[in-house]
Amino acid sequence: MSSAMSLTGIGLVIVATIGIGLFGLRISRTTSDFYVASRAVTPRWNASAISGEYLSAASFLGVAGLVLVNGADMLWFSVGYTVGYLMLLVLVAAPLRRSGAYTLPDFAETRFQSAMVRRICSGLVVGIGTLYLLPQLRGAGLTFQTVTGAPPDVGAAVVAVIVVINVAAGGMRSITFVQAFQYWLKLTALATPIFVILIAWRSGDHQIGVLHSLQGAAAEWAEPLSTAGGRDHPLYSTYSLLLALCFGTMGLPHVLVRFYTNPDGRAARRTTVVVLALLGMFYLFPPVYAILGRSFAPDLVTGAADTVVLELPSRIFPGTTGDLLGALVAAGAFAAFLSTSSGLTVAIAGVIDQDLLRTRLTRLTGGDYLAVNSFRIAALLAMTVPYVAFRLTGALSLADTVGLAFAVAASTFCPMLVLGIWWRRMSTTGAAAGLIVGGVAASAAALINVIGAPTAGWPRALVVQPAAWTMPLAFLTVIVVSKLTPQSIPAGAARSLVRLHTPEAVNVDRNPTPLP
Amino acid sequence: MSDTRPGDPELTTYRDVQLSPDFSELRRRFRRFVFPMTGLFLVWYFVYVLLADYAPKFMAHKVAGNITVGLLFGLGQFVSTFAITLLYVRWADKKFDPDAKHLRDQIEGETK
Repeated sequence: MSSAMSLTGIGLVIVATIGIGLFGLRISRTTSDFYVASRAVTPRWNASAISGEYLSAASFLGVAGLVLVNGADMLWFSVGYTVGYLMLLVLVAAPLRRSGAYTLPDFAETRFQSAMVRRICSGLVVGIGTLYLLPQLRGAGLTFQTVTGAPPDVGAAVVAVIVVINVAAGGMRSITFVQAFQYWLKLTALATPIFVILIAWRSGDHQIGVLHSLQGAAAEWAEPLSTAGGRDHPLYSTYSLLLALCFGTMGLPHVLVRFYTNPDGRAARRTTVVVLALLGMFYLFPPVYAILGRSFAPDLVTGAADTVVLELPSRIFPGTTGDLLGALVAAGAFAAFLSTSSGLTVAIAGVIDQDLLRTRLTRLTGGDYLAVNSFRIAALLAMTVPYVAFRLTGALSLADTVGLAFAVAASTFCPMLVLGIWWRRMSTTGAAAGLIVGGVAASAAALINVIGAPTAGWPRALVVQPAAWTMPLAFLTVIVVSKLTPQSIPAGAARSLVRLHTPEAVNVDRNPTPLP
Repeated sequence: MSDTRPGDPELTTYRDVQLSPDFSELRRRFRRFVFPMTGLFLVWYFVYVLLADYAPKFMAHKVAGNITVGLLFGLGQFVSTFAITLLYVRWADKKFDPDAKHLRDQIEGETK
């Protein structure tokens, strides 16, 4: 792989990202611009932006890596990522828009009228965001290492710095344009090598023995629910993964805020249809890399599997063609890290800004500061935590780490949102208990994974894919505790529900929670 | 109900909305469509996994060339996700939004 060419590709992506970011700066002026782009982005732009933001290192590199090692079961990652959007759309998107809240903690506060529940949610947003940012930084480190041989810290630092600059400069409005651009870049980068390979194969000047690789010893790999790659209890693991992805998406901080950037509910639905088409199109490609990887890069199965997408072009076409395609893929990978990290950083920074920073800044400066500056400091903090975590933790599969973030979200925000929107008798104590029980259980599993998971059998399966037990546990806790504490059903519960379920244009005092 | 302080016109509107049969009907209709649909499509995903585990022969059955039933079903997961979304959007545009608009006109007519 030619590092000069790849570095040029990565450099161009960075320049374009900052350039579009600066262009956005000129049109983002108010707080509403910063957070939700003033709710004025058209469905098509917004759908590209959502997809651009959603397709992270885990999708671009991780899915192919997991399929390469573990076989067909891992295709559920791509199905699950897509279905999660559908769940979000039909169950929570519309009521949440109507709540007028900008963020998950805002929603928690209006629904449960409790500063404590709000604080728990803020903590969870930062936690889930950090868990999700970690693999983005790792992916960046890995890509830089594959391209140049530099230590992983370098790539991670590059992404961290650029994201902070971009977010601090332009907020959501500029991010929307950056994300939209990056979706199309990612799709092009991933699809082009596959088409070039297909052309070479059809014209017969290249031996591509895809089908041979699926014979013999590899047959087990192609079979669903096999234990290829050393994963025990495949049925449990697959179910657990599916649950996490289906129900976790609605609780991801950077995903939810995107639905506010639509001007109305109808546009939000249009957006989702386009998003699903765009995601489906993208996810056709990673499995192809994995299947080709089985024949052309078998050494990666036991090595750096997450680099298969980066390595494959130069393995198939030694020489300039391979170098060019390799550079394109590396650039696409960087677009993936940058876009997801930017979206997450905006979401986390929003929460840090509102819940931790403002009151302290006001006390320190006597109110003499710009609200936008507080957001900028928050953006810096939002990236510092995962960067430190990245330096402290060891190598984990990219898609697996992201899967854990989904599991935590499915075990905390999913019960809070679904029950909070549909069940009037959910009490504040119940909400807090559910968030704490689900959060502690799922985070404990995530932490064990980061430190070092058990090597085999049920303990490993339960810790690697915790959602199947932590999510029901959280739902049960909310229901039981709410039944036991009817006195802590918030006084305005009926009122909140009317607001959540009345069509948007009806004027029932829906002003967003005023920013302090 | 706790939010029924007398003399507060805004809260009276809330109460009216909450108690109006049209509002309950709207919510009920939403739930009657969305919850079963969600259940159904989740069942479809989970059945696929079960089939892969307990009926591998069926899934490996070759339809044409190297294309197996399992492969077709797998691609079907994407197609069905998309189909369900289109169905929901059509329903929301054609049924839900007009009903909601009707309710809105009614409420605004009354409070003006």
